[in-house]
Amino acid sequence: MKIETTDPVNHPELISYRRCTINLKTGKQQWKDVPCRNLEDVLGGFGRSFQMLAEREIKAAYCPENPLIINTGLLTGSSAMTGLRTYFSSYSPIKGSKAGLPAAMWSAGSGKFGAKFKWAGLDELILENCADTPQYIVIRETGSGPHIELKPAEHLLGLSTHDKIMTLHKEYPDAHFAAIGQAGENWQNVYMGSVALSTVNQLKSGDDKLRFAGRGGMGSIMGYKNIVALVAQSTDKHTPITPEVKAVHTQVIKGGGAARLQPIKRGGGGGTWAAYDVMQPFHAVPVNNYRPQGNDLPEKLFRENVEKEYDIESAACHRCGITCHNYIYDRKDDGSRGDFIAKFDYEPLNLLGTNIGIHDAGQAGRLIHLCDNYGVDAISMGVTISYTLSYNERHPEKPLFNGAVFGDYDKIRELIIQAGEGKLLDIGQGSMRLSEQTGETGYAYHIKGLEIAAYLPETNPGYCWAIAGGHMSMGSYGTLIREGLSDVDSWVKVITEDKLHIVGFDLIGLCKFFDITQGIGTDKITTILKSDFNLDIDPLKIKEAVRRSFLLGMALEFRQGYTKSDFSFPAEVANEPNPNIELPNISNPNFMNELAEKVWAVFDKELADMI
Amino acid sequence: MNITVSLHGVFRIDRFKLKILEYPEGCCVQKVIDDLQIPATLLGTTLINKVHAKSSDILHDGDTLMILPLLEGG
Ligand code: SF4
Repeated sequence: MKIETTDPVNHPELISYRRCTINLKTGKQQWKDVPCRNLEDVLGGFGRSFQMLAEREIKAAYCPENPLIINTGLLTGSSAMTGLRTYFSSYSPIKGSKAGLPAAMWSAGSGKFGAKFKWAGLDELILENCADTPQYIVIRETGSGPHIELKPAEHLLGLSTHDKIMTLHKEYPDAHFAAIGQAGENWQNVYMGSVALSTVNQLKSGDDKLRFAGRGGMGSIMGYKNIVALVAQSTDKHTPITPEVKAVHTQVIKGGGAARLQPIKRGGGGGTWAAYDVMQPFHAVPVNNYRPQGNDLPEKLFRENVEKEYDIESAACHRCGITCHNYIYDRKDDGSRGDFIAKFDYEPLNLLGTNIGIHDAGQAGRLIHLCDNYGVDAISMGVTISYTLSYNERHPEKPLFNGAVFGDYDKIRELIIQAGEGKLLDIGQGSMRLSEQTGETGYAYHIKGLEIAAYLPETNPGYCWAIAGGHMSMGSYGTLIREGLSDVDSWVKVITEDKLHIVGFDLIGLCKFFDITQGIGTDKITTILKSDFNLDIDPLKIKEAVRRSFLLGMALEFRQGYTKSDFSFPAEVANEPNPNIELPNISNPNFMNELAEKVWAVFDKELADMI
Repeated sequence: MNITVSLHGVFRIDRFKLKILEYPEGCCVQKVIDDLQIPATLLGTTLINKVHAKSSDILHDGDTLMILPLLEGG
């Protein structure tokens, strides 16, 4: 980015970003230094891409006019810890309204690709149209600025995300990569394809230790465009960490939500996986399609139990001290570490474990591994599978597909393989469409067409107002358990004020774990912006930009045919209240109706000015 | 008075799962947290008899106090 002001609020036009638009049909490239229109443009990520998507009328996700926008945030590749995010934005094949229109969507991922992309000199890549033959794109730093080349990708077809990346790594040893798997290649039958992002750990070890931009089918869009991988080749350009930024990093690691994500041996809680221990005392861990049974089954995947049989390693992305994820390995007979099985993040673990009746860590890990390698969103896949299993439990005489039931590892694995390879559209299209086909929509756990995260809807009314996935775009998922808030007015504030700010991290280029409680409108962020770019910004102005971006996302939902009735839970939640959940009931119709009325009273006024 | 203290997640490491502890009348949740040296940065939720409680809440004989790590992120 070219920054020629210290005042991005009043003079965003003095900040420009380098964009390349490629018409994949013709191969023509258009390069431009684009002046920012507002603070959202400066911050980047979906704050910028959604303004572009708003300018297009897209009626089907798989159409040449639907762009795939790949960009970074202002702090991607900066000195800020977690500054590694890449964003993929487009109209989604999986998230769509009942009117049949696709929703605008973004998905974010870490790994080192984003930083390399930025260091190559590029801020944004827009892919228009579709290539006639499979291609990969090389973004290369040169003495005269970034250079982009399309290359034939036939040799990569049919490979997993990991194998594509390792194949490219041999040819481009100093680069990082974004790749789709077989799922994205088979976009016609898989709407939930993800984009895998390479990590330093992966390239060093040769194990498939990837990170993902998983949500919303951005990998399927990439496959539709006939682009199977992106290569970002540049030298590392680390900004020196000043004492001020160092002090911020110390606060990040020791405070807020990040402390509990630290490895146990560093005095932390042991990564996102630890959510199991906190939710189980309330019987609030999703079991068998979000229906906890009030028993201790989820405890089988508690870390203390998994450790008895498997080896666990805490892991972090490049130069990140938060260390939010874990790797699980087999343990050899002699007690030493065996083969790598998978990464253990809370969401995939629950949705491909306890929530489908799998309580063995090795089996859950192998299903996660499959999804990662096929390049499918573990959340959408897990929930579509759990819907299928729930259907089969209700219809033993006429089950779907291979008749898989909860806990049947072999049959579940078979379904994931078929769907991941694009041979099972009914699952690859997600739970909304599958449940509409069966006619039993009441227990399909999606909201607005996108499968919910691994937190019970009964604990999180905020899901309904999330704009891009239940936990990444509305940070209210832990509020009931953590604080016990059970009055409508508190929840109105949670949804309309406090917790929507989580999306700020998907503008600026950082992980939400940087400061999950406060978001990006803070002195921590302004300190880094001053140190790295000499920018002066009032934290309040950042908050305003985040709010505008959130509201634009919601306005786009309405433009794409959503109605207020779509902002609701699956019917089962109200119709069959689960007596096993030991928390205040805030998902009953009375509570939800009053909440909706009050939330809309706040949002409606602001939305009226948006579109 | 006797307080049943139930610890969860990492708080169990080098401590216990469930224990009855003796405290003088009028003591509050924070006193138990301090005695058990639960780190403030990891502390998430406390419940007295399954109802969310504040650190200043007073305990009574026979209460069950649950102490849970922070739930944040996913
Ligand atoms: S918080 Fe987690 S995902 Fe984000 S950079 Fe750090 S280790 Fe990677």
